[in-house]
Amino acid sequence: MDHQELAAAGFRPAANGARGSAGFFFAALATFFLGGCISLPQSDALRVSPPPGLPPRVELTQVPFHPQDDFLCGPAALAMVFNAAGIPATVESTTPLVYLPGRQGSLQAEMLGATRRSGLVAYTPAPRLDAVLREVAAGTPVVVLLNLSFRLVPVWHYAVIVGYDLETHKVIARSAKRARDEWRYEFLEFFWQDSGYWSMLALPPGRLPATATEQDFAAAVAALEQAGHPAEARASYRALLERWPDNLVGLIGLGNVEYALKNLPASERAFRRASEAHPQSAIAFNNLAHVLATLGRLPEAEAAARAAVDLRGPTLPEARKTLDAILAMRAAQR
Amino acid sequence: MTTSFVRLLSRLLIVCLIGLPLQVNAGLIGTDQAVAASQAQAARATVLSQISRTDVAAQLQAFGIGAQEARERVAALTDGEVTRLAGQIDSLPAGGGGEALLVVVVLALLLWWIIKN
Repeated sequence: MDHQELAAAGFRPAANGARGSAGFFFAALATFFLGGCISLPQSDALRVSPPPGLPPRVELTQVPFHPQDDFLCGPAALAMVFNAAGIPATVESTTPLVYLPGRQGSLQAEMLGATRRSGLVAYTPAPRLDAVLREVAAGTPVVVLLNLSFRLVPVWHYAVIVGYDLETHKVIARSAKRARDEWRYEFLEFFWQDSGYWSMLALPPGRLPATATEQDFAAAVAALEQAGHPAEARASYRALLERWPDNLVGLIGLGNVEYALKNLPASERAFRRASEAHPQSAIAFNNLAHVLATLGRLPEAEAAARAAVDLRGPTLPEARKTLDAILAMRAAQR
Repeated sequence: MTTSFVRLLSRLLIVCLIGLPLQVNAGLIGTDQAVAASQAQAARATVLSQISRTDVAAQLQAFGIGAQEARERVAALTDGEVTRLAGQIDSLPAGGGGEALLVVVVLALLLWWIIKN
């Protein structure tokens, strides 16, 4: 197709310094006049074969709209998805969590960090349009990062996808000052591509993303735990383990949060399950030894600590310390 | 007088020494280490991130965030996120958008609609 040759030749008009509106205008014009010449494979694929098993049309009307003031699309997007997850939030309350004055914007990592600080799991789905549709169908609004300008002079913008229509090939978005926009798949894909199709979810504790992968979701919950929310992380670890009962990060994490919440029997159960399902995990045996020692069951604790030391690995120094401490406790008892 | 004081002191010391071994807390190993193992990350990455956290907090301050808030923001990031942020805060995408764009969005949607239909 000659269209694709045009695209390959690189339609990149020179930056004229006018950021934002002009750049976006030209970028938009480029999509119009070149018609189908810019390759938008994800939209094409979705038009040809919509994701199976999804309702034809979904709109999460319950997601409230927060209009953004200048540069505050990050806080506005967060306020919307926080509300949808049941957390009270406004642009005023989220701005101090995420806005970076020196950049007149919000960084992706900080969008995730602010989500965790609010007690929600921050999850970044796979960089795919069908993942966005699946999450929306499951009732979770999706924050997307768009570049409204050219790659050389980017103008980054966060919007929230709250709906889709498989028949008209459109998504429904809350963006900037507009509470409800309908965007064609191609429109979203075109402005979304420069961010590497980056998106994020803010999930209430205990909720699994529709497109969750075992390793990514486990890491997302562990990040919530480390951000200082053990009770919220506990609910999500349980959801993770319900789906993937033997996940090591989930079992270790659950044991650690139960310990932090002073629920020692539950902590012991989690570490014991971890050591049974993963007999090669020194971390599981070390932590089991630690909990057993705290419960005063020193002979069992010593056996677990010895197992941890015997497994060696990168956590060997900690395992040695655990064993030494338990031996000292036993010596003191005699 | 002195004997009773010595006795009291000895008793106190005995109590302290009995309690002492119980306070030796060889800690639990954090979930982050299990995550690092599951992602085949080197332990070195974790060490690096401890250094980077101070750097990133300082950089956030340079971009207009207070010292306390900068520390709290960095504390909510994972090791991987901190390592990626270090030295890149001025160049990584920062979503801001702007009001001027909105008129254009409307216009663009209109044009899009005309051409596609």
